Amino acid sequence: MTVHAFGDRAFLIELEQRIDVSIVDAARAIADAWEERGLGEAIPAYASVVVEFDPERMPWPTAAAAANDLAARPPRAKAAATGRLIEVPTIYDGPDLADTASRSSLTTDELVALHSGREYQAFFLGFMPGLAYCGTLDPRIDAPRLESPRARVPGGSVGVASGQTLVYPADSPGGWRLIGRTELKVFDPARDPAALIRAGDRLRFVPR
Amino acid sequence: MMRILVPGLRATIQDRGRRGHVREGIPPAGAADPTALAAALVLAGCGPDDAAIEIVGLPFSFRCDDRRVIAATGRDVRVRTRGRVPGWTSVLARAGDEIVVEGSERTRYAYVAVSGGIAVRPVLGSRATYLAAALGSIPRPLAAGDELPLGPSVAGVESAGRRGPVPAYDGPARAVVGPHDARFDGSMVERAFATSFTVLAESDRMGVRLSGAELSVSGDDLLSCGIVAGAVQVPRGGAPIVLLADHQTTGGYPIIATVIHADLGIVAQKAPGEDLRFIRVTPEGALRSS
Repeated sequence: MTVHAFGDRAFLIELEQRIDVSIVDAARAIADAWEERGLGEAIPAYASVVVEFDPERMPWPTAAAAANDLAARPPRAKAAATGRLIEVPTIYDGPDLADTASRSSLTTDELVALHSGREYQAFFLGFMPGLAYCGTLDPRIDAPRLESPRARVPGGSVGVASGQTLVYPADSPGGWRLIGRTELKVFDPARDPAALIRAGDRLRFVPR
Repeated sequence: MMRILVPGLRATIQDRGRRGHVREGIPPAGAADPTALAAALVLAGCGPDDAAIEIVGLPFSFRCDDRRVIAATGRDVRVRTRGRVPGWTSVLARAGDEIVVEGSERTRYAYVAVSGGIAVRPVLGSRATYLAAALGSIPRPLAAGDELPLGPSVAGVESAGRRGPVPAYDGPARAVVGPHDARFDGSMVERAFATSFTVLAESDRMGVRLSGAELSVSGDDLLSCGIVAGAVQVPRGGAPIVLLADHQTTGGYPIIATVIHADLGIVAQKAPGEDLRFIRVTPEGALRSS
């Protein structure tokens, strides 16, 4: 693990740079530990954690020592399989469904069966409020990102790309392949927490 | 109560940002120029967590229905009421006085704080407005006729006329190298600190876009990681973006340097076509000098 200064009030802790559930779990455990120790906010991602601190409360050398200490003695990761199970009722009629099936040498029914036939883990949230990156896809689904992203993807779209799947919380630009849609509101600012899915939760897409 | 008379191009309620929700993918939002917001709050006798109004596109005018201490800050900002008052100064506003905030063609973000603070209902722990996701008690630009609740005023007549220090908005922004500097050739990192960039018109609260030196990235694509305001991202095209308050919480472009918190306002306030240079500092040094 390496620790880099990130401006004057944060550090970036990098783990082994690849997408793997055990690395995601380890990154989240570091973020949890930073927040549980009351040091500040932390943002876990695939294989890194950004830890923030308030220099008015903690001088830089103290924060640097705390970040280095966490990297040197990382907390034990909790097993992700203990997360909540969230069911996502999904209508599989996305504009990229047929193309993604054919490039994967599958029928659309087979693609739907593969996508809805396993549990995914929410790796982390980012890009926009409530958007959870989830994985991993069955390797038989061949879904690189679109060459040119769409200017507008409707909120509720279910997308796949690069071994992962997600639900777009609101209208936004996007380069993932759209295979379906859900009525489930994954982000609602009137709710607290506003985001339905938390990192570590399990997801299952249920065909409707 | 505060009544908006002339709303400017885009005025929103902002505080120092929505903390505690980045792991839900929610950007901190808050003031694009945190230094100017903090100064306006101090001058108006507010606390550091109180909310003020951020305005793009002056003039902006309002009146209050009781006596308040007000302050306007930002680049090249001044106040017109019964007389003319420079920005970054506490002003005593009597009930019903029309207060006009004016700027120059270089003003990007102006801040107006009123004693007692803008007392709208916090959403997810903050009064900051994030328009892209309609987050905030008034999740739209303020309009003429809007009436905003104010907290109880504690500042009195004795605080009028106080001045605050104005940042060096014409100058360079201090930045710490990295965190992804190892993904760039050493000469690229040197170039980032040696050359002058030009601010593009497409800049907004999400980030300031720059043209000038091309900074090519070496190596494989990056896995998305968390982001903080001030990050100087270098997309494949090579034109850097300095991220501001409305930045996405995670991103996949390598970050060659990060502007220190005290100088975010210098970046935010640069007008399109103006030059921006970065000065390299160490993170410990940044704290001592800010």
